[in-house]
Amino acid sequence: MIELKNIERYYPTGAVKTYVLRYINAHIAEGEFVSIMGPSGSGKSTLLHILGMLDEPTDGEYWFLGEGVHKFNERRRTEMYREYIGFVFQAYHLIDDLTVYENLETPLMYKKVPSGERKSRIADILDRFNMVAKKDLFPNQLSGGQQQLVGIARALIGRPKLILADEPTGNLQSPQAKEIMEIFRTLNKEDGVTIIQVTHSEENARYGNRILHLKDGRVENEELIKNGASS
Amino acid sequence: MISNNLKLAFRNLRKQKGFAIINILGLSVGIASVLLIFRMVQFELGFNKNFKQHDRIVRVCTQEKGLDGQESFTRGVPIPAMSEIKNTITQFAATSRIKENWPTVLVPNPNGGAPLKKFNTEEGEIALFAEPEFLTIFDFAWMAGNQDNILKEPNTLVLSQKMAEKCFGGWQNAVGQTLLIDNEPMMVQGVIANASPQCDFPINLLISYQTLISNPDKYDYRDDWGSTSSNDQIFALLNNPAQFQEANVAVEKVGKKQYVDESGGQSSYKGHLLQPLSEMHYDDRFGTFATHVISKSRLWVLSSIGLLILLMACFNFINLSTAQALRRSKEVGVRKTLGGSHSALFGQFMSETAMIVGFSVLLGTCLAWLGLPLLERISEVPTDLPFLNQPVLWIFIPALALVVTLLSGFYPALVLAGFNPIKALKNDLFNQASSGNGLRKGLVVMQFLIAQALIVGTIITLGQLDYLRNMDMGFRKELVYTFNMAGDSIAQSRMSGFKQRLLQIPGVESVSFSSDQPSSGSTWMTNFAVGRGTDYQRFNTTIKYGDADFLQTYGMKMVAGRWLEPSDTVKEYVVNETMVKKLGIANPEEILQQELRMGSGKWRKIVGVIQDFHAHSAHHELEPMTLSSNLERFYVTGVKIKPQNIKATTEAIQKVHDETFAEQVFDASFFDEQIADFYLDENRFSDTCKGFGAIAIFISCLGLLGLATHAAQRRTKEIGIRKVLGAGVSGITMLLAKDFLKLVLIAIVIASPLAYYLMDKWLQDFSYRIDIQWWMFVLAGFAAILIAFLTVSIQSVKAALANPIKSLKSE
Repeated sequence: MIELKNIERYYPTGAVKTYVLRYINAHIAEGEFVSIMGPSGSGKSTLLHILGMLDEPTDGEYWFLGEGVHKFNERRRTEMYREYIGFVFQAYHLIDDLTVYENLETPLMYKKVPSGERKSRIADILDRFNMVAKKDLFPNQLSGGQQQLVGIARALIGRPKLILADEPTGNLQSPQAKEIMEIFRTLNKEDGVTIIQVTHSEENARYGNRILHLKDGRVENEELIKNGASS
Repeated sequence: MISNNLKLAFRNLRKQKGFAIINILGLSVGIASVLLIFRMVQFELGFNKNFKQHDRIVRVCTQEKGLDGQESFTRGVPIPAMSEIKNTITQFAATSRIKENWPTVLVPNPNGGAPLKKFNTEEGEIALFAEPEFLTIFDFAWMAGNQDNILKEPNTLVLSQKMAEKCFGGWQNAVGQTLLIDNEPMMVQGVIANASPQCDFPINLLISYQTLISNPDKYDYRDDWGSTSSNDQIFALLNNPAQFQEANVAVEKVGKKQYVDESGGQSSYKGHLLQPLSEMHYDDRFGTFATHVISKSRLWVLSSIGLLILLMACFNFINLSTAQALRRSKEVGVRKTLGGSHSALFGQFMSETAMIVGFSVLLGTCLAWLGLPLLERISEVPTDLPFLNQPVLWIFIPALALVVTLLSGFYPALVLAGFNPIKALKNDLFNQASSGNGLRKGLVVMQFLIAQALIVGTIITLGQLDYLRNMDMGFRKELVYTFNMAGDSIAQSRMSGFKQRLLQIPGVESVSFSSDQPSSGSTWMTNFAVGRGTDYQRFNTTIKYGDADFLQTYGMKMVAGRWLEPSDTVKEYVVNETMVKKLGIANPEEILQQELRMGSGKWRKIVGVIQDFHAHSAHHELEPMTLSSNLERFYVTGVKIKPQNIKATTEAIQKVHDETFAEQVFDASFFDEQIADFYLDENRFSDTCKGFGAIAIFISCLGLLGLATHAAQRRTKEIGIRKVLGAGVSGITMLLAKDFLKLVLIAIVIASPLAYYLMDKWLQDFSYRIDIQWWMFVLAGFAAILIAFLTVSIQSVKAALANPIKSLKSE
């Protein structure tokens, strides 16, 4: 599904180049659950942004579903977001002015899903996440865990093939974090959604089937996890 | 999607109430200004379009150029020239000679005795002597009477509906009745509809031109190539509008030979030209009858002011929206990752703008409606003219809303929709958002530039008006009560008795009869010669007639010789200082006892030189003047009254007048009020500057308030740190205010020369004017800085007083 070839990302600082990513090569198949780990400044977030087509590599090639992302224009990227990619953020990034229901509806509207289907899809997902009673609340009326549930629901509602999560549990208490990770695993196992997450937590990383350890912009090593997480 | 966008927009408005209020207030005031100005401009531009053949109607006018190069223009045409034009110009399908007239109208009592009603021609109305073709050229709607054989016989007339109602209580029964027009009986042949308010022909009476021709003495109808009165005019209907140039060339040739003979070589050029009806309302060289003239350039100035004010309001919107963009950045980032395209986001922000503009249009329309009465102070638009039920507004208002939405919303929406999503999500947009900083500063400078120019304009117009009010015109204008009299022989025979009775009133100091007031709107000029046997002078003299009490009543002074002795006919002359100077005589005494002749009149001695006084408004230079006494030319009574019991005195004067001249209408006013009326237009202009200057300041300050609020919010953390480091409230206030004051200063520097240039041009219109002083700019600048500082301080002080712990914790 994803093919990274010699991805580099650097910024010119004066005469020297400051490298954020160097010679990243990776292949991620459909149905995988990959965790990216590494210390602060190792380039995890940049890599995730490049994967999410929010940032462009300075060098190298990125192939997504057999298409060269480096050739995409803004419109094609927008199509990717509509059809294939869902984002989950550490800070949730719900739209404050919209209710839970409206936050969930937004990607469907961009996707031009007809109104009847929108209603049923939202009803389904609210049901699945046990949030039916909360649908008319605004984000600031929810707890962090609940907000992140909405965030994930919003990422899922467009039925993406790939979910990119940037420290999805970074702001959460551990019981809530665990709940979120369980959802990810279910999504991956039962719905076959490919998931790539950036995380600091070894425990969370082990929910996936593979860990990429980044250091100073390079992939230091790759770790394969048998049977996923500790349970 | 659209309904969703509007819902969102509405929520966003509620959330950012402060900024929404600033935006809506600013825009609605701007929109209200534009609507009011549109009303004025549209009103003025719509003049005389009500006549079906308006594009074929022309007026023949006269242009003269003196040997000194002075050009003069008049709408008047000599009577023989009119006949020639009527008979020889083939491009004209119809012509009508007319003569302006302001008669006293009496409704006689059929049983004899005192008339039933009497009135003078009202302000803003005109009576015309006119030929039957007048009604062919101008298609006034017929209300009553047989349209054939109208205005063909002497002493016949047509009334306007309003006049018919005034005279007979209803227009239906007017036809066939008789009216006394300046004591001449005339038969009503028909009634025409009232002229539209957007028409330069507010006619109350149309009297047959034959009346004039059959009684030339009474109406001063003289077959004389040398005399041009602005009252005698000729209108024509072109066969087709394309023949304008052809006809213009043809009328130019009229009178070529006669004018050279008549002027005795005095003018280098005299000839005729055509004025299309479409220009009549806008060309003050020729003027209209009783309505106002407004120059196209004034309409341009007004339109530009409206446009500038609207732009200022849009600038506020742009400034606030781009400054606020940071707040919306997260939303933009999220929406983009959810598949929101550039155009979808652009659409979302544009619909937010559209909603704000929609509210503003509603509020602005209400404001404009409330402001309608104010229009009367700065324009001639009648208050009863419909406002919203004009179809043109139904197009104009939506179009305005669209333009304002685009002007205000386009740039901010482009900026917001263009945010890079990662930076937006990281709130790392400082560079992107501050790139609009230069633009915002530029727009603030523009706003204050406009405001500053208008403040300077206000100060200068007020200064000039004050100067005009207090200008020494060379005579006393206070406490002189004046009114018109009929110039007929009956009235003349009663004058001396009338004067004696007036002088018996305790409050009356002196009484004078004259041709007009020392300063008035009318001009009477002639050629003249000084020194028996010499040729005519190369310049003309103004003539005024006054009796022996003229000097004392109006408080003028002699510089040499003496004032005129009582006389009913021209026996001797007094000239003014300018005349002496223009004749090249150094000592006024030297001109005394010399003989002077006006036109082809008799030689009479000059007995005195009067100190210069202004015969016209300050727009005109002092002119050479000759004064004499002539009972036949006395049309105005001036009564100098004592300051005590003014009301009783004026009432007594009216009583004596009404008893002496039962058939005349008493319409008196104080001389100083008449002088003030000279400057109605200047007062309007000053009020326009004042009003729109205030609006400009208001809008600029709203914008500044918004930007200062934003700056204070953005710098909360910095302010917190500075306070912890020991900065005081005043220091922080200055820190925030400084940035804005700099912009205002730049605006002042740019605006001053601009305002100087424009106001200097305006002042050039006055022959007597104030000098533009440096302090006017300093004063205006101080005002702008003070207002700006106060506005910014509201926010800055609030920010400076905030507890630093709170602001530092927020990170």
